[in-house]
Amino acid sequence: MNMKNVCITGLATALLALSGCAQVQPWQRGDLARPGMAFESDPLLTTYRQHVAVSKEAASGDTTLGGGGCGCN
Amino acid sequence: MRRLRRLLTLVLLVLSPQAMAMEIGAAAPNLSALASDGRMLSLNQFRGQVVYVDFWASWCAPCREAIPVLDTMYQRYQGRGFTVLGVNVDTERKSAQRMIDQLLPKFPLLFDPQGKWPEAFGLRDMPTSYLIDAKGVVRYIHKGYRARDAQQIEAAIKAALGEKP
Repeated sequence: MNMKNVCITGLATALLALSGCAQVQPWQRGDLARPGMAFESDPLLTTYRQHVAVSKEAASGDTTLGGGGCGCN
Repeated sequence: MRRLRRLLTLVLLVLSPQAMAMEIGAAAPNLSALASDGRMLSLNQFRGQVVYVDFWASWCAPCREAIPVLDTMYQRYQGRGFTVLGVNVDTERKSAQRMIDQLLPKFPLLFDPQGKWPEAFGLRDMPTSYLIDAKGVVRYIHKGYRARDAQQIEAAIKAALGEKP
């Protein structure tokens, strides 16, 4: 395969990949603010889950602090 | 190889979804949208008047702050050939209506859930407002909103109306 073919294949792949990109316009930001777009739909449940996970891992300070080890704090 | 590079540049330009932002001195596009009273309103209908086109949405906090100030200016300069056009870009009408019921602005409100107006204006920030003179030319663009901006906006309105700022 010569250089030209490699370039054309690369270009075609890039075009296909770029066609999947959608730019959120400034006036469409309301869609991003919807609850369904949040990483975590229920913040309280997330806190509980994190607490359980942290307890099981025996780390202190939850996910916001460094440290951990004995789990006695 | 050079041809390929040119082709790639062209393709990237074509693929770029960003519309050209409207600049001061450009002619305002003629657009129409459904108003809050059920009528279709177009920008050309306001030719001969100074129009302050304000793009707003219910999720935009500075818009909420700007609307009462713009309403005051609308009432102050309405008799001198000035109007504010509030273009709502919410995709859901009920969200916009909730904010309208709270703020009760007197100026005409338009609903553009498809975003045709901001696209034609090449809007890059929310909120952005465009002051269009009597000839349909953009005279002033205001991006964002803070309480201290009110004076600047009023001065631009006065200048467009031919008054001393």
